[in-house]
Amino acid sequence: MNAGLRARETGADGSAPRGSWAWAYLLGEYAAGVATAVATALPIHALVDRDWDMVVAMLAGTVLGSIAHVLVLGVLGPLVGFFHVMAPGALIGMYGGMLFGMRDSMQAASWSQTVAFAVATGIAVVVAVQLYDRALRSEADGSGRQETTP
Amino acid sequence: MIDSLRAKWDRASRTYDRATCSDHFRFGAAKRHLFARMRGRCLMLATGTGTDFQHFPSGLHVTSIDISPGMLARARGRALAYDGRLDLVRADARTLPFADGSFDTVAAVCTFCSVPDPVRGLRELRRVLKPEGRLLLFEHVRSRLAQLAIMQDLLTPLTRWLGPDMNRDTVGNAERAGFRILREENVYLDLVKAIEAVPL
Repeated sequence: MNAGLRARETGADGSAPRGSWAWAYLLGEYAAGVATAVATALPIHALVDRDWDMVVAMLAGTVLGSIAHVLVLGVLGPLVGFFHVMAPGALIGMYGGMLFGMRDSMQAASWSQTVAFAVATGIAVVVAVQLYDRALRSEADGSGRQETTP
Repeated sequence: MIDSLRAKWDRASRTYDRATCSDHFRFGAAKRHLFARMRGRCLMLATGTGTDFQHFPSGLHVTSIDISPGMLARARGRALAYDGRLDLVRADARTLPFADGSFDTVAAVCTFCSVPDPVRGLRELRRVLKPEGRLLLFEHVRSRLAQLAIMQDLLTPLTRWLGPDMNRDTVGNAERAGFRILREENVYLDLVKAIEAVPL
């Protein structure tokens, strides 16, 4: 079960269910993912042209994405949860940045296309991380000593 | 070393509650589930501002330590609100001021990401734990997913300056310190884990 959904069952202090908070956190995860992706894609789009070498563009994208990830983590981490922002944000910043750099070195996309591609990438990565989280917590790790949290 | 560590956590104590409020809320249920296994005389490490006291079962006798006077000062109100006996003590996890085999349960939340020599700290816990005692850890660790682990390694110099390391192998450190792992539960991905261990 997703940590946000688990939070819906009871409050952290054992109080009554707090469904609205669970959904707020879930939305926050998507907002953080989209914010990281857009904050990564825009400076890359401004910097990288079609005449850039693709490898250099990908490396620049990774560096800019990692910086964007840390900035978004600093702002949204306290609001959404550091780990829930960090994990998708790391993937979006590092590997999404690489993808955005490659894309901008291959084609002349408009700003709106760049933002739309970034939003789609951010949402896709957050969905993938949530599915991976669910899978990790429902399967034993092979050591025979892992249990899932009820 | 201890002075700089104390100063770092005293600084962090001013913003700690605000910076970590979402994590405390989101992981509350998992912490309650872990701490439900607390029994007898208990030791809590790295008290922080005491936000985890609310997850303890009621009626226990808990000795709660922290290296930072700033953190302990902020924890005082929450200690008084606990439905049981809760003593706050200023101490370093690597040199605990307790006799061998003093505790039935030792609990720690996000502690061994910050203790400078984690294996030494865990050996010290083994010393103060009774042979049939339980170690309960709620820790963030280095992911086994390489793509995430690389980012944790890159972030660690920055986060170490603010507080914790992001890439510790706390499960391995507990085994190296002489514990046998009974349970290792993934709380969020494989980054945040609830761990139950016993002395070998």
